[in-house]
Amino acid sequence: MRASATSGDDAHLTAPWVDIKRFAVHDGPGIRTTLFLQGCTLRCPWCHNPETYEAKPRLAYAAHRCLHCGECVAACPRGCHTMVDGRHAFDRTRCAGCGQCVEPCLGSALRLYGRSITVAEAVAWLLEDRAFYTASGGGVTLSGGEPLVHADFCRAVLARIRAEGIDTAVDTCGHVPRHAVERVLPCADRFLYDLKAADSGLHSRLTGVDNQRILENLLFIAAAGKPVEVRMILVPDRNMAEADIRKAGELLRGVRTLTGVKLLAYHALARSKFAALGLPDTMPDVPSPDATALRRVADQLRSILPAGALVTF
Amino acid sequence: MFNTFSADRDHFAKKFSAPVFDPATGLDEAGLKARLEAVWAARGNRPHPVVKAELYACVADHVQIDVSPHDWYPGFGCWDRNRRPLMEYTGRWAAELEQAGLLFGESFRRFSEMGASRMWIDFDHSVPQWDDILELGFPGMLKRAELFRSLHKTRGTLTPETEAFFDGIRITLEASLRLIARLRDHARRTADGNPRVLAVAECLDRLLAGPPQTTYEALMFDWLVFFFGEHIDRTQVRSLGNLDRLLYPFFQRDVASGRYTEEQIREFVRYFLMQFAAIANYWGHPFYFGGTRADGSSEINPMSHLILDVFDDLGIMSPKLQIKVSPNTPRDFVDKALDMIRRGHSSIVFCNEPGMMRALIDGGATPDEARTCHISGCYEFGVYGKSNGTGPAHLNLPKLLELVFNDGADPRTGICHAAETRLSDVKSFEDFYAAYLTQVRFTVDRTIEAVNAFERYLHVINPTNVFSATCEYSLNSGRDAFSNGLKYNNTTILCIGIGTAVDALMAVREFVFDRPAVSLAGLKQALADNWAGAEKLRLRIRKSDHKHGNGDAGTDALLVRLANDLGRMINGRPNVRGGFFHASSHPARQFIELGKLTGATPDGRCAGDEFSKNMSPTPGMDRRGPTALIQSVTRVDSRVFPADFCLDLMLIPAAVSGEEGLAAMRGLLETYFSRHGLALNINVFDAAQLERAIEHPEEHEGLQVRVCGWNARFNDMVHPEKLAYVERAKNVSA
Repeated sequence: MRASATSGDDAHLTAPWVDIKRFAVHDGPGIRTTLFLQGCTLRCPWCHNPETYEAKPRLAYAAHRCLHCGECVAACPRGCHTMVDGRHAFDRTRCAGCGQCVEPCLGSALRLYGRSITVAEAVAWLLEDRAFYTASGGGVTLSGGEPLVHADFCRAVLARIRAEGIDTAVDTCGHVPRHAVERVLPCADRFLYDLKAADSGLHSRLTGVDNQRILENLLFIAAAGKPVEVRMILVPDRNMAEADIRKAGELLRGVRTLTGVKLLAYHALARSKFAALGLPDTMPDVPSPDATALRRVADQLRSILPAGALVTF
Repeated sequence: MFNTFSADRDHFAKKFSAPVFDPATGLDEAGLKARLEAVWAARGNRPHPVVKAELYACVADHVQIDVSPHDWYPGFGCWDRNRRPLMEYTGRWAAELEQAGLLFGESFRRFSEMGASRMWIDFDHSVPQWDDILELGFPGMLKRAELFRSLHKTRGTLTPETEAFFDGIRITLEASLRLIARLRDHARRTADGNPRVLAVAECLDRLLAGPPQTTYEALMFDWLVFFFGEHIDRTQVRSLGNLDRLLYPFFQRDVASGRYTEEQIREFVRYFLMQFAAIANYWGHPFYFGGTRADGSSEINPMSHLILDVFDDLGIMSPKLQIKVSPNTPRDFVDKALDMIRRGHSSIVFCNEPGMMRALIDGGATPDEARTCHISGCYEFGVYGKSNGTGPAHLNLPKLLELVFNDGADPRTGICHAAETRLSDVKSFEDFYAAYLTQVRFTVDRTIEAVNAFERYLHVINPTNVFSATCEYSLNSGRDAFSNGLKYNNTTILCIGIGTAVDALMAVREFVFDRPAVSLAGLKQALADNWAGAEKLRLRIRKSDHKHGNGDAGTDALLVRLANDLGRMINGRPNVRGGFFHASSHPARQFIELGKLTGATPDGRCAGDEFSKNMSPTPGMDRRGPTALIQSVTRVDSRVFPADFCLDLMLIPAAVSGEEGLAAMRGLLETYFSRHGLALNINVFDAAQLERAIEHPEEHEGLQVRVCGWNARFNDMVHPEKLAYVERAKNVSA
């Protein structure tokens, strides 16, 4: 039996999440709420959300916020937290991600990523700001990580949101099986589509995988008539040479439902997250591109894309 | 004559701080005081309106004056607001009443010492009926007042008091005309061929003869009425009016006739606005834009844009701008103002026209009175030309919690002027809340008694001759406009720190009764010790999500409950001026000043710290962004605070950049207004503010920054990242 998009059959589905951002104003039109799900199919070295890599609970410890109050010591059932000479020490190898230490932490230095959320809970949260969506032409965006790792969950959430007359968007890297895209296609009003590099070889060098599947999915979504905003992160010395941009422009010229290209300037502001998560810092040691560099890229893209194409940064 | 602003700007740096006057133009401050003393000594038993008018006339006839080639508007020797010459005499009349035991009673004094309720006699909130007086001019105002005197005679209502009322107005207006003549003559004498000084003289000459005919004359008239009322007649003129609507007919005539070009009018506006920038009162001087015509269309016009553009170019903080917003307000105008705010020119408040109408109609105003309401002060509103709202009392809501913990005694002063409640009787949160309401009720009741005691004498202490002369309603009633001469003579009780009070109540509920983590006695001790030895408890309380501004259902419900209880205690109670008391959530500066007099509170706030302001959260306690904050605040029906209801939003430049950022700001504004929020301030942090957030992270827990495709809490970032944001903010504001 085939379940309808809004049936209660999928209400039990869950997904691990890392954050829910209200008043998200750069994740699609208007004022939106963005739910960030955990789990990603890429490992971009400049990633700003390393807490989304693995789809499983992971404790972050922000040492700069720690008050060394010791409240976590008693709360932890596995002895991960200890006080040594009045200072807090954290042994990540013991941590199972139960999160029992988070609430007692007086400095809010501890945070658990990857708690599980049900479809019903997610929908309830995402509807809280519906008055703002109505006033601003906004809506709900699912992001990550790669949200389509949890395609059934996404479909269930988006279908319910859309049934309320609210705009829905999926922010995807596109590196997912076609059937995952197909699952959400009927329930997503628009896509925000990340493009790291148009050249497959360069993409492979940058992210470890080629972009064949990504480009196919992009064209598939466009062929289905869904509006697509392409988001290009620009990393100096990595993907913003003139030839890289030319190739991207030529590719995007063929995306007939392209609503705009948003250029995102790389910066290393998420570097502290790697430390807090106990992950090796992979962020490129390059400066953030300045306005002049961004303008150059934007102008180059505009010269390639159809007249009037919206390129912003 | 025109296009000299950059060269003239230095003139304004001194005009209201160190002006120099030609001694030949009048008496210096000491001489003027001596002359006023002579008038006072000769007052005999003449009624106060007449005596005050004679004192006014003395100032008008003898104060030093200046017409500068660097200015389009004259200067006066009584420029210092803190030393306005007639304050001495209104103070003496107040002292006479006080010596007779008529003015300030026990509650006034004891509440003041405790900081439980701070009261003063408020002469700071008059709004002239600008439409009428712009049509009449000074000679017409005098003629109108005399016509109403005749009318009272015909009606048989010309009592000695009414006669004195009209005498005071006549003497005042005649003196005003003499002062204008002095200014004109001085300008002519000293012009030395300077075309601008001669133009000033011509303008003044026309105002002596009749109502203003040009935009410049209208602005000059506005300036003179402001100065005569506020600086000479000692009554704050708390709105320069619906300036764009008022000026537009003059603008149209000037441009159509070729009298002035748009650029020349821009210069008149520029110099007019600079008067108030130069006065530089910390509270700013307001006027308002927009409104709705009887046919439902917007009052926003080309003059609205012109004034806004000039203000934007000047980059000044005063005057401050109030914009009436309704669905008919052109989007480009709202967007222009929003864009100014995000560029740091944020001396702008948006006021919800349908929301204000709803509140006014609920209070008895007709739909037409509500539609044409004025905005004054910060964002107070009232029926234009027919209302005068005073704000004489400030209720310290967090302090009243201290009284619950200390069985009615104020721990700082030891004074016990409160209801009898006992902490030992409190067995549940409902008991605690009931005890709190008992303290609130006691303080509200005594405050109302105290205010009524002194507001009975407003017209005795300070007959407001200039203000009354502007209001036909007052002339018709024959009573002082500031006291009881208008249709709506309301009194506002400002409720200070409602966000902090709700947070504190929620902390009692959560940590004493729900968890429980501490006993009432233990919490009382922690508060008495200003949290010394209880820092972990304080941090745990601070960290709790049950704080106002986060969309938390339990906290929002308590906010609504407390607001409704306050409304029931205050709204609609009669005052002695034939009007009613109204509740307000506006704190003025008292969220700081009363905070200094209040000990630690259960929400984790330390002794002496400031409270929440307006309907906003305690600093740093809203953590879920502006949408959650708006939802929390608008769960309260704004009609509960019919005097005003304002929210302060804090955003960062990255969140409001570009077209989508502007649309987001508009979305917040429209949603807040659709839920009947009445006034909205928006702050967009600049680099300096972010630097302060680094120094005081505890006050900026809710500050969000846009990282790339998402927002992050500023406090979650490490220091170098924060510094990067400071640099970004510098770039944005550059």
